[in-house]
Amino acid sequence: MWWSKVVNVFRGSRVSQDIERELAFHIAEREDELVSGGMAREAARREAQRRFGHAPSLGEATRDADLALWLDTAWRDVRYAARGLRASRGFTLVAILSLALGIGANTAIFSLINAVMLRDLPVKDPQELVVVSMSEDRISEVTNPLWEQIRDGSHPFASVLAYGGMQVNLTDIGEERPADGLWVSGSFFSTLGVGASRGRVLTAGDDVPGCPAMTVVSHGFWQSQLGADPAVVGRTIAFSGKQIEIIGVADPRFTGLEAGRAPAFYIPLCAQPVLSPESGFLQHRSLWFLRVLARLAPPTTLAQANEMLRPASAAWFSNTLPANWSAENQKSYLDNTFHAAESLGELSGLRGTYSGALMVLMAIVAVVLLVACANVANLMLVRAEARQRELAVRVALGAGRGRVVRLLFTEGLLLSIAGATLGIGFAYQGSRLLVRFLETSRDRVFLDLGVDGRVLAFTAGTAVLTALLFGLAPAWRALRIDPQDALKAGGRGVVEARTRFGVGKSLVVAQVALSLMLVTSAALLLGSFRAVAGVDKGFETGGLLIAEANLRWSGLAPEARVELQRQTLARLRAIPGVTAASASWRTPLAPSTWNDEVQAPGVTFAKPEDGMVWVNLIWDGYFSTLGMRLLAGRDYGAVDRAGAAKVAIINETAAKRLFPSRSPVGGTFKIARGNGTSQSFEVVGVVSDAAYRSIREPAAMQLFLPMAQDLEYNSGVEFTLRSPGPPMALRTAVIAALAEMAPRATVSFRELEVQVRDTIRTDRLLATLSLFFGGLALLLAMIGLYGTMSYSVARRRGEIGVRLALGAAPSQVSSGVLGEVTRVLALGSILGLAGVFATTRLVEGFLFGVTPREPFILVGSVLLLGAATLAAGYLPARRASRLNPLEALRQE
Amino acid sequence: MRRAKNDILQGTLDLLVLKTLARQGRMHGYAITSHIQRVSAEQLRVEEGSLYPALHRMEQDGLVKAEWGTTEKNRQARFYTLTAAGKKQLESEEATWARLRDGVQRVLRYA
Repeated sequence: MWWSKVVNVFRGSRVSQDIERELAFHIAEREDELVSGGMAREAARREAQRRFGHAPSLGEATRDADLALWLDTAWRDVRYAARGLRASRGFTLVAILSLALGIGANTAIFSLINAVMLRDLPVKDPQELVVVSMSEDRISEVTNPLWEQIRDGSHPFASVLAYGGMQVNLTDIGEERPADGLWVSGSFFSTLGVGASRGRVLTAGDDVPGCPAMTVVSHGFWQSQLGADPAVVGRTIAFSGKQIEIIGVADPRFTGLEAGRAPAFYIPLCAQPVLSPESGFLQHRSLWFLRVLARLAPPTTLAQANEMLRPASAAWFSNTLPANWSAENQKSYLDNTFHAAESLGELSGLRGTYSGALMVLMAIVAVVLLVACANVANLMLVRAEARQRELAVRVALGAGRGRVVRLLFTEGLLLSIAGATLGIGFAYQGSRLLVRFLETSRDRVFLDLGVDGRVLAFTAGTAVLTALLFGLAPAWRALRIDPQDALKAGGRGVVEARTRFGVGKSLVVAQVALSLMLVTSAALLLGSFRAVAGVDKGFETGGLLIAEANLRWSGLAPEARVELQRQTLARLRAIPGVTAASASWRTPLAPSTWNDEVQAPGVTFAKPEDGMVWVNLIWDGYFSTLGMRLLAGRDYGAVDRAGAAKVAIINETAAKRLFPSRSPVGGTFKIARGNGTSQSFEVVGVVSDAAYRSIREPAAMQLFLPMAQDLEYNSGVEFTLRSPGPPMALRTAVIAALAEMAPRATVSFRELEVQVRDTIRTDRLLATLSLFFGGLALLLAMIGLYGTMSYSVARRRGEIGVRLALGAAPSQVSSGVLGEVTRVLALGSILGLAGVFATTRLVEGFLFGVTPREPFILVGSVLLLGAATLAAGYLPARRASRLNPLEALRQE
Repeated sequence: MRRAKNDILQGTLDLLVLKTLARQGRMHGYAITSHIQRVSAEQLRVEEGSLYPALHRMEQDGLVKAEWGTTEKNRQARFYTLTAAGKKQLESEEATWARLRDGVQRVLRYA
C-alpha cells in the first residue's frame, strides 16, 4: 500500500529500530531454547545467530520496502561513492573532464537554441500575442497608411501595435556611431504590457500627427550610453543631429521583440517627419516597413479572430490603393487579405539564418556526448573489473545485487553531476564565444543567454541520462557477478579475459564509429568552407577600405551632388598611400541589392527570371580599384555625363547572354521601367565576372551604370580605397578629407575582406566547431582505446609471459595486440561509414564545392582515424612485447 | 501488491503464517516458527531469514496487524494478529493450496 511507505518516511528511524529489536528478540528466544536443550550459553548464541542466516542482509531485505530507509541508504551510497571516487583521483578527473566537455558542449548549443528559438518574449502573457500579416507562410511588413487602417478599423483584437526598424547616428560629424531603434505605434508598450523603470513609456496619446520628437530608451542604452544618469528623464539626446527629448527608460527585462536584436530606443511613428523631413514615408502607400502584432481578446480564439479579420481587411486595402500603380498591380493589391498567426518566433531573422546550422551543431555535440559516455563507461568498466573482488565480497556478505548496481549508479550520477556543474561553466563561456561567431561587422547580435529553467532542466536531464548510459555496462556486469567464481579466480583469469572485454571493446568500437562520423562531417564542412572561401570572387579582397559616407547633400541640386562626389573622389585619391580609389552605390557582397529586367534585340528568355540583372552605380576606376579586369571596351570617363548618351558596362555573363552572336561593345539593350516604358543603353565595356550578392551563387548578369548619369540618385555613397598598408590606417586621413569637402559629413568604415567574411560566417561557424568537436571526439576515442588496450595487456600479463617464455618473438606479441586494435578499427570504421552514409543528408544543405560522399574525404577520415587509433594502441603493444616473462610469471 | 499465486514457496509460507495466526490468535515471530515446526512434527522448518520479511510484507499489505507487547519471560516482542483482509486472504490461499495439492497428487497418481 503506497501510503504506508509515505507514512514510513516520517517514522523511518522507528521502523529501523523496530526491526532490529524484533530480530534481537528472536535470537534471544532461540538462544534460551538451545541453552535449555543443554548447549553452552556462548555456543547457543552463535548457533542462534547462525541459524538466523545473515542478519544484516535480512534486515536489508526486511527494510527495503521503506522509502525513508531507501533515502537513508541512498545517502550512505553517496558517501561511499564519493569516498571511492576520491580514492582514485586520476579516474575521477578524466571521467569528470570528459563529461564536462560533453555536457558543456550540449548546454552551450542548447542555450543558443533556447535564446534564438524557444525563449518566450519578455512581455506580459506572450501566448496572447499574434502576428498580423498579409501572407500566410511568412511575415510581411505593411505600409503606414495600412497600419492606420488596421489601428482605426474594426479589428477583432484587444489591441494592436506596429513597429519598424530604424538606425540613427549618435554623432553629428565624422565617424558614425550607429544605434538601432524602433519606430513604434503609441499602443506599443500598453499592448505588450511593458512599463518604464524611470519616467514613462509612450502611450496612444503621444502618437498623434505632428507630435514632437520624443523617445523611450532601453535599459541597456541608458546604462551604456547615458551613464545610467538618474536624472535622464527630460534630457535631450542628438539622434542623427536632431535633438530628441527622453521621456523614460523601459523596464530592464524588456530587451525587444526579436531574438538577436535589442533596440536601443523607441520613437513614436508620428515623430518621423521631425527626424527625416524629406522622405515623408508616413503617407507613402508602397513603403513596407512596419510589422503588426495584436493581442487576442479572450475568449476570442485565433481562428475566430481570423474569421472576423478577413472581411474587415478588404476595406483597408481599397482605402489605401496606391494611385500610381499599374492596373494589374492594383488588382492584386486589392486581392490581399490579412491573417493573424501565432509564429512570433519567426520575427527573428536570426532564427531563419541559423536554425538549420544550430540543429546540425546540436546533433554534433550529442554525438560528442555519446563518445564521452562511452569513454566514462569504459573507465568505469575497468574500475569495476579492478573492484571485482571487492564487489564479490560485498555480494558474498549478503549485499543484494540491486544494492551493488545502485552503488555503481550512484557513483555514475556523482560523476555526471560534477561533470554537468563544470559543464555549465564551460557552456557559459562557450555560448558567449558562439554569439561572437554569429555577429557581423554590421550587425551586433544581442541574445539573452541567461541560464533559465529550460536550460537547467536540459542540463540536468542530460546529466541523468548520461549517468544511466555510461552506468549501464558496469551495472550489467555487476549483476552477473558470481561471488564464488570471482573470489576463486582472484582476478587472474586467463581464459575468461576474452569474454570480459567484450563489452569494453564494443564500447571502443562505438567510439571509433562515432568519431569517424564526426571527423568525416568536420572534414566535409571544412572542405566546404575552404571551397567557399577560396572561390574566385572576381575581385581582390585584401587591402581595400570601404568608407560609406553621408555627404549631407540633401539641400543640393542633382548636378551639384554629382560634382561633390567627383571632387571628393579626387581629394581622396590625393591621400598619400592610396594607390587607387573609386566610389559606387554599393560594394560586392554588401547587403543592399538592386535588380532590373533587361531586353536585348533578338534575345528571348525562357523564363522572366532569366532576364534578371544585378545593378550597381559606379565611378571611373572602380574596376581597377577592386581588381576586376576590363575585357573589352573602355572604363567611364568625363564624357559620360548627365545628358550625354546613356552608356553601360556589362559583365562577361551578360555579354554572352545578351550578345551571343556579336561583339557586345557598341550593342544596345533596354531596361524595363514601370508602366511599360523602357530605357536604352549602349554597351561601352565588358568586365570580368565577380560575385554580387553571395559567393555561393553562380555567375549572374551584372550591369554597371555610371553614377554621373543618374541624377535621381539620392542615397549614401561608398568610397573604395586601396593601399599597400593596413586599410584601417587610412581612416583619419579619410575623415579629414571628407570634412574638407563636406563640413558635416559622416562616415563609417569597413574592410572589404571583413564584408566578404561576414557572408560566409555560417560556413565558418560550422567548420570551426565541427573541427573542434571532431578533434575532441577523436581524442576521447584515443583515450578510450588506450585505456582498454593497456588494461587488456595488464590483465593478460600471465598469458603473454607464458607465450614469451615458450619462445614467441616480442614482435609477435605486439602485433597480436595491434591486430586487436586493427579489428576494433576495422569494425568501427565500417559502422562509422554506414553512419556517415545514413546521416549525410543532415549536412548536405550546408556543403559547397564538395559532395557529401566525396571518396577523398571518406578515405582521408578513415586514414586519420586509423593513424590515431594505432598511435593509441602502440604504447600498450610495445609494453606487451617488452614484458619480462620471468617477472610476469612470478607475479601470477 | 498481491504476489502471483504460483509463487509456491512464498505462497506456502504466507499460508502457514496466516493459518497459524488464525488458529492461535496473537503471536510473536518466534512463537510462529516454533508452532509451525511443532505442528508439522518437525517436517517443516520456517527459515528465520524468510519469516520476518514475509511478516513485514503482510503487515504492509494489511493482512496482519503488529504491536509491541511483553512475553511471559518479560521480554519485549512484536505480536502479530490477523486482520479481516488477512482472513479473506487465508481462505483464498487455502483454496489455492487445495487445488495445487490435488493437481500434484493427480499427476503423481496417473503420470
